[in-house]
Amino acid sequence: MDSENTITKPAAEEAAMAERTRCGCCYRPNVDILEQGDELLVRADVPGAKSDSIDIHFEDGTLEIRAEVPPRYEGREEFLLREYGVGDYYRTFQVSEAIDSGKISANYADGVLTLHLPKAEALKPRKIAVDAS
Amino acid sequence: MNLIPWRNKRESEGGELSPMVALRNEVDRLFDSFVREPFGSLEWPSWGGGQWSPAVDVTENDKEVTVCAELPGIEPKDIEVSVVGNQLILSGEKKESTETKSKGVYQSETRYGSFRRTIPLPDGVDTEKVDARYTNGVLTLRLPKTPQAASKRIEVKVT
Repeated sequence: MDSENTITKPAAEEAAMAERTRCGCCYRPNVDILEQGDELLVRADVPGAKSDSIDIHFEDGTLEIRAEVPPRYEGREEFLLREYGVGDYYRTFQVSEAIDSGKISANYADGVLTLHLPKAEALKPRKIAVDAS
Repeated sequence: MNLIPWRNKRESEGGELSPMVALRNEVDRLFDSFVREPFGSLEWPSWGGGQWSPAVDVTENDKEVTVCAELPGIEPKDIEVSVVGNQLILSGEKKESTETKSKGVYQSETRYGSFRRTIPLPDGVDTEKVDARYTNGVLTLRLPKTPQAASKRIEVKVT
């Protein structure tokens, strides 16, 4: 341990264990959430996950991120240092802003999942024309 | 004593005490991680300053030593791997994207800035043949053992 600033990842407390078919620990990915103009940007660290094993679900203002991570070790090796666990990621968020769920987009690169959540049209400032009759 | 397949020569020179030393080191490591863990889940400020170090797993089998570190969001060109003596040094920088700096931040849990980690390597590792790969945010280093170290297994014959 050469530093007190070693980054670790916490276990997911809200993991829905009943829905999990694989054993092992489930981790809570670290996230950054930013507001960027007309959208919210969520960036989650899910290192080890493959893009096709990431599942994103948005319903009734709840955003759910689930990412499967394949085992990294064969089980025959001896550990000289073991500082983090390898396992699936799970995290949910309550999004208070109205989100246009049809336009949510996501991309994945270098272990970081980026979600773009565009705000619903209703929230955007709008000019209403007054009809003269 | 000589029949015990031991990991390397230097450790066996420590005599009977070395298993105790290994146990003590292990207890120290567990204690350290236990003390640090409650703080590990705290959200770090994202002011980018200060160094951080990535957590690593180091495993060993008959043929090689493997070092795995989770380094999400870091471009492979920003990761530097070097070997000095029997120390493996991982260093680099996680660059803060421009939007993080300029836009409204609701929540920030990831750490930016430069990182550095020194990992002691066991004896008998061929540091000339290190294979480094970065896939989906995971850096994997494979360090093959030297032929002398790889074949240090004593067969017990039945007579």
